[in-house]
Amino acid sequence: MQPLLEIRDLSFGYDKGSRPVFEHLDLDVRKGECVVVKGASGSGKSTLLRLICRLNVPRSGEILFKSKNVAEIPPPELRSKITYVQQIPQMTDATVRDNLLLPFTFALGQHKAAPDDATLERMLDAFYLHGVSLDQSALKLSVGQKQRLSIMRAILNEPDMLLLDEPTSALDSDSAAMLFSIIERLNTEEGKTLVIVTHSEYQPAVPQARSCTFRNGKLECA
Amino acid sequence: MNQIIEISIPQLLLALLFILIAQITSLVQRLGLNKDITIGTIRTVSQLFLMGYALTFIFGAQNLWLTLGIFVVMVFSAVFIIRGRVKEKQIPYEVPTFLTMLSSYFLTALFVSWLVIGVHPWWEPRYFIPTAGMVIGNSMSALAISIERLFSQMRQQRDVVEMKLCLGANYREASAEIFKGAVKAGMIPSINAMMGVGLVFIPGMMSGQILAGTDPLIAIRYQIVVMFMLVGSTAISSIIVMRIIRRRCFGQSEELLVSPE
Repeated sequence: MQPLLEIRDLSFGYDKGSRPVFEHLDLDVRKGECVVVKGASGSGKSTLLRLICRLNVPRSGEILFKSKNVAEIPPPELRSKITYVQQIPQMTDATVRDNLLLPFTFALGQHKAAPDDATLERMLDAFYLHGVSLDQSALKLSVGQKQRLSIMRAILNEPDMLLLDEPTSALDSDSAAMLFSIIERLNTEEGKTLVIVTHSEYQPAVPQARSCTFRNGKLECA
Repeated sequence: MNQIIEISIPQLLLALLFILIAQITSLVQRLGLNKDITIGTIRTVSQLFLMGYALTFIFGAQNLWLTLGIFVVMVFSAVFIIRGRVKEKQIPYEVPTFLTMLSSYFLTALFVSWLVIGVHPWWEPRYFIPTAGMVIGNSMSALAISIERLFSQMRQQRDVVEMKLCLGANYREASAEIFKGAVKAGMIPSINAMMGVGLVFIPGMMSGQILAGTDPLIAIRYQIVVMFMLVGSTAISSIIVMRIIRRRCFGQSEELLVSPE
């Protein structure tokens, strides 16, 4: 089966002439897989995710999504298919509802049917956000709640692949456990393809999990 | 009183008393502004004298190309001053700013001197240069505020802009709030000036005309045209320049290029 995502001979460096962050990187991600990318700080884990959704542009090499070069896919379309969730969750100064429905306000999402309040409330419960009201300010939530809300918002956009950047780095152990449980459910129950970057020892308890590690500028996968 | 009273050199020197007061205040309050006040005073006197001689020459020469040349130099200087006020050095914005200012201010000055005031020829330096000067000076401040605001907000709100990009926003949608805020910040001083004019302050041009013996009823007509012209030219140049600069803040893949703080 053709991989959902193919990374071929990818190299990246921040400035022309500077030392590359990594070189000649290859990786395939199949539909339904849950790939965990580990490595030390500065090894290029987050950069890899940013390159996949073209928040950064590689020096050389190519990334194919469904056999099509991501550079040729209109950026809004690419990013709604491969959604990157930032390490520090970002909310706008608006209600929880408005934040969740943000993707439906953009030109690309306007033709999609926005979920109603009942659906949103059911999802809040599934994301361990019991007691969070759709009418309250999203800025007043805790970091852990914002992190779960940002993953929920990404899911509402129905992406083919989720890129999670250090999703538990700012969370206490209880919040991290909740998030791991959500990640595992997204993969096993909803079949979401996930690429998760972490510097922790987290290993998802899912059958389709695979672990890759950055070592000396190279990505080694199990 | 229709005759203008000429200010003699001793009378001009008397005005230096105001500078003396400012210097003493800075000294007593330890504001550390004495050097700047001295340089500012010297620059004011020398620049205005130079301008006076240059304008006398230009008004006498009555040459189209000389008038247009002065206009280009004025716009170029304005871009140079904006460059000094804006901290961002990574995103190139000077050339589009210069070209937009040149074309939009030329059209504004042309419209005012030719159609509104009805002067012939349209480039009559006595009308065209002061009109262009007011447009350029006013819009320069507005643009400097808007451009700096756009870059600083892009830096500060980088994560929010990227969050929106990641959710399927195009670069315009991801930066819409920042863009609006930056354009508004530049335009508010011109709009506030329309609110306060005649009540809180008498604008420089109108004061100058009245001091020079012009009937206040004629002076106000000129001032009304100037106020409208300034708001209009600021709006046009801000929107065009800011749209170009905003696009330059993003790369080919609509990735944000402005570096974090």
